[in-house]
Amino acid sequence: MSALHPKNAAQKERLLRAEHWLCMERARYYTEAHRETEGQHPSLRAAKALARVLEKMTVRIEPDELLVGNRSTKLIAPPIAPERGDFTFVFEHLFDELRAFGYRIEPHDERVLFDELIPYWRGKTVRDAKIAALESHQLSSKLDLSPGEVRRKLRSFGVRKLVRLVDEDTPETLRARAVRAGRLALELPRLVRAVRAGAGDNLKGRGRCTDTQAHIVLGHKNVLRLGFSGIREQARTRMEHARDDGERAFLESVEIVCDAMRAFSERFAALARTEASAVADPERRAELEGIADACSRVPWLPPRTFAEAVQSMWFTQNAAIISYGAGSGITPGRVDQLLFPYFEADLASGALTRAHALRLLEELIVKLNNNVVIWPNLGGAKLNHLGSDVENITLGGVDAHGNDATNELTHLFIEALANTNLATTASFRVSQKSPREFVRQVVAIHRRSNSPAFLNDETAIAALVRDGYALEDARQYCLVGCVEPSGNGDTYGATGGSKVYFPTALDMVFNRGRTTFFGNRDGVDTGDPSQMASFDEVLAAFYRQLDSLVEWVTEATNLRDAIWAERFHNPLISSTIDGCIDNAKDMTAGGARYNFGAVGGGGLGTVVDSLAAIRKFVFEDRVVTMAELGEALATDFRGREALRQRLSSGPRFGNDLDEVDSLARELVARFCAKVRSRKTACGGHYKASLISYGLNVYEGALEPATPDGRRAGEPLSNSMSPSNGAERRGPTAALSSLARIDHTAIGYGNSVNMRLPVGLLATEKGVDSAAHLVRAYFDKGGFHLQFNTADSATLRAAQRTPDAYADLIVRVSGYSAYFTRLGRRIQDDIIGRTELA
Amino acid sequence: MSPSEDCRVFDIQRFSIHDGPGIRTTVFLEGCPLRCAWCQNPESFVSDAARAMTPAAIVAEVLRDRDFFAVSGGGMTVSGGEPLLHLAPVRALLAEAKRHGLHTCVQTSGAVPSENVAAVLGLVDVFQFDLKHMNAERHRALTGATNERILRNATLLVERGATVQFRTPLVPGVNDDEENLNALAQFFTGLGITTMELVPYHRLYLEKYASLGLRAPREDLEPPSPSERRRAAERLRRDGVLAHVDPHE
Ligand code: SF4
Repeated sequence: MSALHPKNAAQKERLLRAEHWLCMERARYYTEAHRETEGQHPSLRAAKALARVLEKMTVRIEPDELLVGNRSTKLIAPPIAPERGDFTFVFEHLFDELRAFGYRIEPHDERVLFDELIPYWRGKTVRDAKIAALESHQLSSKLDLSPGEVRRKLRSFGVRKLVRLVDEDTPETLRARAVRAGRLALELPRLVRAVRAGAGDNLKGRGRCTDTQAHIVLGHKNVLRLGFSGIREQARTRMEHARDDGERAFLESVEIVCDAMRAFSERFAALARTEASAVADPERRAELEGIADACSRVPWLPPRTFAEAVQSMWFTQNAAIISYGAGSGITPGRVDQLLFPYFEADLASGALTRAHALRLLEELIVKLNNNVVIWPNLGGAKLNHLGSDVENITLGGVDAHGNDATNELTHLFIEALANTNLATTASFRVSQKSPREFVRQVVAIHRRSNSPAFLNDETAIAALVRDGYALEDARQYCLVGCVEPSGNGDTYGATGGSKVYFPTALDMVFNRGRTTFFGNRDGVDTGDPSQMASFDEVLAAFYRQLDSLVEWVTEATNLRDAIWAERFHNPLISSTIDGCIDNAKDMTAGGARYNFGAVGGGGLGTVVDSLAAIRKFVFEDRVVTMAELGEALATDFRGREALRQRLSSGPRFGNDLDEVDSLARELVARFCAKVRSRKTACGGHYKASLISYGLNVYEGALEPATPDGRRAGEPLSNSMSPSNGAERRGPTAALSSLARIDHTAIGYGNSVNMRLPVGLLATEKGVDSAAHLVRAYFDKGGFHLQFNTADSATLRAAQRTPDAYADLIVRVSGYSAYFTRLGRRIQDDIIGRTELA
Repeated sequence: MSPSEDCRVFDIQRFSIHDGPGIRTTVFLEGCPLRCAWCQNPESFVSDAARAMTPAAIVAEVLRDRDFFAVSGGGMTVSGGEPLLHLAPVRALLAEAKRHGLHTCVQTSGAVPSENVAAVLGLVDVFQFDLKHMNAERHRALTGATNERILRNATLLVERGATVQFRTPLVPGVNDDEENLNALAQFFTGLGITTMELVPYHRLYLEKYASLGLRAPREDLEPPSPSERRRAAERLRRDGVLAHVDPHE
């Protein structure tokens, strides 16, 4: 193994030290053009707006760069897409939190934001239209949220827990606690307003349907093969057969964005030439001249060399993120496969050395890490700031013919990941045909970097075929977002965003269709729980509630998708995706070859443990009645601590217990089948996922006490993993439980985060054993596995002295993140995860 | 299956990776003829900690990790206490494991009748054999029994062609002196053994005594420092015995 190239080390240092900014360039130019195109076709409006941004935004070349292409005026400043409405919501309601978290904004940008952008977009955003549509379709929760009511709820939910969510410091002294209480009293009215506004898109039964879609694998394969010149040519050819104005408008918009991409890269070429003539250092001059050459060619033309191919990908990746805005899960895909032909040819011709290729890959990885995300949720950035948006890279796996596709570049990427040691989200596809040593080599990276994710090809490909992919296409799958398997540049899948929580369905069983927190009166009445005479009756009621949740969330998502289809297109991303040009249709309107939607399910471990507890303690041991249990849940076990402890001593998911695991198996199968039966607006079907995006802490904050003894407001179980602290019989037992679920039914994947025993990877035997866990779990049908390795003592030390642990990396449910930059509550959640073995 | 073949089990631990090759499930059987000053498994002689299980029930539990054994070359390890103390149950357990094709490992102190050792020979793939001290008197002072029988059983296993991994708990001031290491090396050389494992003493187990309401016999013992570990290993290496010190312990 090598060391990080010094020029890349310098770039990494700058990235880690960079301030976080809010930059309004993207928002401003997009809005400017949008104002001018009133009444035009949405594809054309989007194309012209993007062209304006790419033409006017600041372009920069940083010192030490070989790959160029910035997203905003600052090194770290997410491109802001005001048309979505999620950003503007956060700015309107939680701007102070963003500032307190450390985001900075230029005074001019602040004026533009509040005086021009927010007023212009009010009522015009996807979010606004979505909320209106939900209301008119009776899909929004009938909340009774007077400020007094919210305060009462907060109190009954243990306001201390919520305070901790909102307030980062965990004060050690009484004085600090008093100060905090005082601050909260001042803040509460404003927070209540934020809660109310944030709850505006709360679905019936507390489902979630975000404003964005995206979460898509770009068609880098097409850009590399054809260049935007070739894509433009395709659009022109297709124009000859255009059947209507809509098709013509879309194809014209493709031509506009292709030209805009050319002009954008030319701006960098010109800048590089200017800088080259001004620089004294001959080495840097040669580099800048190389940059100028590459930028005047790609991504307009197909790359001739490995370096041009990487540059082309980076341009496309960047422009796509600018076009959609940050936090959109724009995915590069199978980078080792895409780049390998160029690598191989250049090595053979002697034009490239391995060392230089490694330097380029390291730089690409550093750059993939400058993408931050702002979550439009209660508590905003403080709560859910996870360090980076995901631009998941997929490595390894089989090719279209089913043969092992691991190549020299795969290994070079492994080396680059280890050298850069950043919170890169990297997914390693493992198949039965992978080289024997492959998993072991990847496990060994833990010693030098964050934990990579393992994905099982056999399970993922079977799931994709089951969902309608041709086998050859399925084999090319890439991981989107955290762990969602999707087609390689041929799919519009919107893999993230819509979600239901299993514990909500149980809450609604106990409250006859209402939820405890919001008190909505809009659910299904499944009868008086105290009259339920058997566990099967409870289970049947639970499934009825769950089915309604799925129906509502998919209906809502279709309404939201219609807004995108009617108003906000993305011809740039569409132009790279198979099918859109053939169909002369934007991806949001169903242009892609494959179309799907996603519904996530949260809190599996929590609800399975809860159901198991009901079965055991209500119907088998008869230590509590349904009525008493309902009462205890409603009051967060006040005065019933003994009962709470008894409930939490019940059998738990994750311990290889057949009777509990079969509950999980049935629940997941039924949920996935229900989700699958729902059709998307573009003619595909919905696919289920079990992923938390690290949000399980937030999700739990609004969930009342559960029959597994979990108190109100505590985190839900994470992704598909067992509840925190539930695993008591080690990793093999936990994996055996998990493997009892049919993973091929979970079309958009699941994630399992396993904390390995402290120091396990210090020995060769430990590395072998971790690799064996992966292999055996995958042989049993598991889909995804990743390990966390830092021990709790280290994590606590990092909480005390964050500066000393600035580069400590953990995985949070599919994300990689810097531990010390996470909110205190998420940190505590990670520490609380079962220490196995 | 007769009740005399029931095993007294005080723990079954999955994902054991330091008890033989691969990923293993370790079955801890109650009872030990020795009383080592540093014993880390005091449960093994506090009889109410154990439950009676048939060999079939134990093996059924062990087989739950069969898929993990298959990819890692692991299997079942029988530990204790002294698992060979009660012959009938342990032989039945090993036979049952073999009937299911499991790889088997036995961790023994050797302080049992030679018949017991000989009786399980064909049922055990690997023996992990503890040699605590080479001097008979010191051995008695430390464990309550002399070591003649132990050394005889070690010799018997090697001569009968069994796969034996010798292990010595490395306890500073107790058995890491020149004389003992010298005797250890000579014993191994005499048997043609060229590798062994030094298991550094640690104090984590002291908690266990407290939780069982017992007093640890020797709370004063300290774990070996890195240089003490290195010195011991080098001493053995000089006589051609490659001593492996697990850094994880
Ligand atoms: S031989 Fe093992 S179980 Fe028996 S007393 Fe000694 S250390 Fe404890």
